[in-house]
Amino acid sequence: MSITHMGVHVSSVTGERAMPAPAMNGIAIETRNLSIYYGSFKAIHEVSLQIKPREITAIIGPSGCGKSTILRAFNRMNDFVPGARAEGEVLMHGRNLYAPDVDPVEVRRRIGMVFQKPNPFPKSIYENIAWGARINGFQGAKRHMDELVERSLRGAALWDEVKDKLRESGYSLSGGQQQRLCIARAIAIQPEIILMDEPCSALDPIATLKIEELMQELKKQYTIIIVTHNMQQAARVSDKTAMMMLYEDTRAGTVIEFDETDTIFTRPEDKRTEDYVTGRFG
Amino acid sequence: MSAVTASSQLPEDRAFKQYLQGRRRVGWVWQSLFLLATCIGILALMALLYNVADGAFGYVAYEDKVDAATISDRPLEGLSQEELVAVLQANLSRGAFNKLDDEQPFAQRSQGDVYNLVLERVLQRKVVAAWSLTDSLTRRAAIEAELAEEHPNARLTFRSWLSPKFLQEPMSSQPLAAGVRTAILGSLWLIAITIAVALPIGVGAAIYLQEYADHTRWYNRLIETNIYNLAGVPSIVYGILGLAIFVRALEFFSSGAMFGVTDSNGRTIISAALTMALLTLPLIIVNAQEAIKAVPDSFRQAAYGLGATKWQTTWAHVLPNALPGILTGSILAVSRAIGETAPLIVIGASTFITVDPSSIFSKFTVLPIQIYTWTSRPLVGFRNIAAASILVLLVLLLALNATAILLRNRFSRRLY
Repeated sequence: MSITHMGVHVSSVTGERAMPAPAMNGIAIETRNLSIYYGSFKAIHEVSLQIKPREITAIIGPSGCGKSTILRAFNRMNDFVPGARAEGEVLMHGRNLYAPDVDPVEVRRRIGMVFQKPNPFPKSIYENIAWGARINGFQGAKRHMDELVERSLRGAALWDEVKDKLRESGYSLSGGQQQRLCIARAIAIQPEIILMDEPCSALDPIATLKIEELMQELKKQYTIIIVTHNMQQAARVSDKTAMMMLYEDTRAGTVIEFDETDTIFTRPEDKRTEDYVTGRFG
Repeated sequence: MSAVTASSQLPEDRAFKQYLQGRRRVGWVWQSLFLLATCIGILALMALLYNVADGAFGYVAYEDKVDAATISDRPLEGLSQEELVAVLQANLSRGAFNKLDDEQPFAQRSQGDVYNLVLERVLQRKVVAAWSLTDSLTRRAAIEAELAEEHPNARLTFRSWLSPKFLQEPMSSQPLAAGVRTAILGSLWLIAITIAVALPIGVGAAIYLQEYADHTRWYNRLIETNIYNLAGVPSIVYGILGLAIFVRALEFFSSGAMFGVTDSNGRTIISAALTMALLTLPLIIVNAQEAIKAVPDSFRQAAYGLGATKWQTTWAHVLPNALPGILTGSILAVSRAIGETAPLIVIGASTFITVDPSSIFSKFTVLPIQIYTWTSRPLVGFRNIAAASILVLLVLLLALNATAILLRNRFSRRLY
C-alpha cells in the first residue's frame, strides 16, 4: 500500500539518484581481490565473491579466519577499527564502495546489518524502528510512521507479539524477539542487502528456528549475507556458501571455495572444505 | 598410577577438613579487617559531625553595657521597626545616626537589622564567654559558678548559633548579630556560574576526546594525559592563574568596566567563577569521558549500521546513555568547588562584606571564606558561628549531592 510512499520519502533524501539503477547482470554485490589490513596485519587475502540478489549467501569457516571482517567490509563497518584499510574493490551496481567519493554513511543506508548479540536501542519498540527512518530523512506524517513501524514489525514476524506494547522498552522482549526487532529495525529503512553476523549464536533453538524461517521470507525482497558458525544452519538456510580458511603463507583469511550450498555440503572440490563440513576439524 | 599421585598431593578427608577450616579462618580475618576499615571511616565522620555540632550549640554568656530596661519598658524583641529606629535616634549621637542612615537608609532596613544595630550600638552587647554543647549539657553547675565569679553581670542563655536568623542576616563584626546570608548567596552565584561555564565546555571536550579524536595520534594521547594530570593540580595554583588572568589581565571585563560598572575591581564573582570553572574542568572532562566510554559499543554499532552519522549516533544514543554518569561526575566535581577556599583567597574574595551580590560583577564572599575568616578570629563567639556555617556548608553540599543522586536515578530509570 504505502511502500512506494515510504520509498519516496526515505530514498529521495539520501540521494538514490547518486546510485545507478540495479545492473542487469544479476549481481547484488561483488568483491574483487579484496584484501583487508589491520595496520600491518593482513586479515583478509584477495577475496573475490559475486553475491546474487534475493539469495542467502552463507559464509562459514573456522574461528578467526576473518568471516566477520569480510562481512563488515561490505558496509564499511571496518572503518571504525583504527588502522583498518581495504585493498581491491567492493562493487555494488558497478560502483566501488571504497572509492574516495563514496560516503560510508550512504553505504550503510543501502546495506543493513544485524549483529551477533541482539542490540536494540534502550528506547521503546516503536522508537527502535522509527529512529532509523527519521535520521535518514523520513518526512511522512505520524500516520505514515505508524504504518512503517507496523510493516517493518510484520516483515520481521514480530507484529503480533508486540502490537499491544509498542511503547515498552525494546529490552522488555526476549532474546529472540529482540533479534527480530533488530531485523525489523534494519528493514525499516529498506536496504537492498542485509548482513547478518552470527545472528542466532546468542539464541535458543526455537528462537533460532524462527529467525531462519524469517530469513526465507526476507529473501523474497532482500539479498542476505550471513556469517554462521553453525554448519547445519548454513546448510538449512543458504543458497550459496562461501568456505573460508586461513591462507597458509600469510595467515590471512581467504575464501577457498564458493558454490551452491548443496555442492559445498555434498561434493566439495576442496579437501579442506570436505574435512570442515563433515566435522573432521574446526 | 595417576590416581595415586593425585590423592597424595590433594588433601582428602581429615586433612581436607582441616585445610578448609584454615581457609575459612583466613576469610574471616579479612572480612573483619574490611569491617574495621569501614568502622574507622564511620567513626571519623561521626567525630567530624560531633566536633562541628559541639561548637554550633551551647551556652553563651553576654553582657550589656547599657541595661535594656533603661531604654524601653517593653522587651526590645517586641518593638516594631519604627520604634527601634526611634530608640536608635534617641540613644545615638546625631552624627552616628546619620552615618548609619547614609550606609543604608533606615526605611530600607528590616526589623532584625535595626534590632541588631540597637544591640550593637546602644546596649553594646558583648559575648563574654561561650561553651561547647558537651560542656553545656554536662557541666551546667560549674558553668554557672564560673560565670558568677568572673562576670557577675552577664546573662547566661542556651543558644543555637545555627538559626533562621543566622541564615538571614548579613555579616557583622559582632558574633551575636552575624549571619551568612551574603556568603550563601555568594556561594550559590559562584556554583551557578561555574556549572554554566564548566559543564558545556567539559562535556564538549569529553565528547570530542572520546568519540572524535583519533587515539592512534600521539598529540591526542598527549592532550588526554595532560588533562588527567591537571585534575590533580593543587587548587591554589588555579588561584594564582585566576589572579593573573581573570583579575589582572582581563580586569576591564571581570570588573564589569566594559559593561559600564564603575565601582569595582577584578575581584568579582565572575573572576572567581571562571577560576572555579578552570579548576573543575579537568574533573568534569575525566568523569564525562568515563561515562561516555561506559556506553556499550553495541549501541554505536547499531546506529552506524542504520546509516547514522557520527553526530546522530552521539546525540541520540551516546549522550542520553552517558547522561546519568556525566551529571553525577559533574556535580561531584562542582561540589568540590563549593568547598574550595585557597584559590578564592588568592583571587581576593571579600572577608567582610554586608552587601548581597547583585550581579556577576559584584564583590562577594562564600561560605568557606567566611568559615576561614571566623575561625582565625580570637574573639569569643566566632568559633561558634564558624561551626554553624560549617553546618550550613555541609547541608548545601549534601543538597547538591542528593540532587546528583536524584538526577542519576531519574535518568537511569528511563533506560532499559
